[in-house]
Amino acid sequence: MPDDGTAVEVSAEAAEGALAYLTEMSPDLRGAAILGPRGEVLAAADRFSRWEEDAATLFAVADRAGEEAVEQVHIGTEQGEVFALRHAGLAAVAVTERFALASLTFFDMRSVLRDLAGATPQATSDGSEHVRSTQRRGGEAADAS
Amino acid sequence: MPPKPHRVLLERVSGYADEAAAYMRRRRASRKPFARLYYAEGRAEDHASDSSASGELFVAAGRLIEVAGKRERS
Repeated sequence: MPDDGTAVEVSAEAAEGALAYLTEMSPDLRGAAILGPRGEVLAAADRFSRWEEDAATLFAVADRAGEEAVEQVHIGTEQGEVFALRHAGLAAVAVTERFALASLTFFDMRSVLRDLAGATPQATSDGSEHVRSTQRRGGEAADAS
Repeated sequence: MPPKPHRVLLERVSGYADEAAAYMRRRRASRKPFARLYYAEGRAEDHASDSSASGELFVAAGRLIEVAGKRERS
């Protein structure tokens, strides 16, 4: 379901950190999910299976609407707005209030996915794994508070 | 010569009515549903709200909006 970019493996912890960052950055956000290379939900507020199913449906319908795979989807209805983005083998779907700033929302979603894709888990000397970008985000959040 | 008092009142009422009509027109335009798809090379497609493709897109979007639920206001 995500784009044809290089498949990346992202840990659930890193995805949850990214989702928390996205939620913090976007005051209009009602809910969001981050999806892995196979369309599986890596992070969402709740109801993982519904996010997975409905995001897959949205991307499938959007792909059918044109001649090629879609990269970004922006749909506005009276009930809210839906943003979906594929980047580097990952995907993010977000639901916002009406009249959210589309360019900023897409920018935040893209930067989160770029961070996740670039932050493949690295083995440390003690054998555990850590993710650079999540730590950086955590540091920024600590600085902000 | 000053205008007759009832003319002043009529002009004021019709002025308010014009403002209200313009507000309703703007509101209708901004509330109209839309579906925009963006592709890798920067191309974008707008799907009219009455096309069959956009109908499916609105249904899929509606399901996601339902999953997200309402925002908790603090």
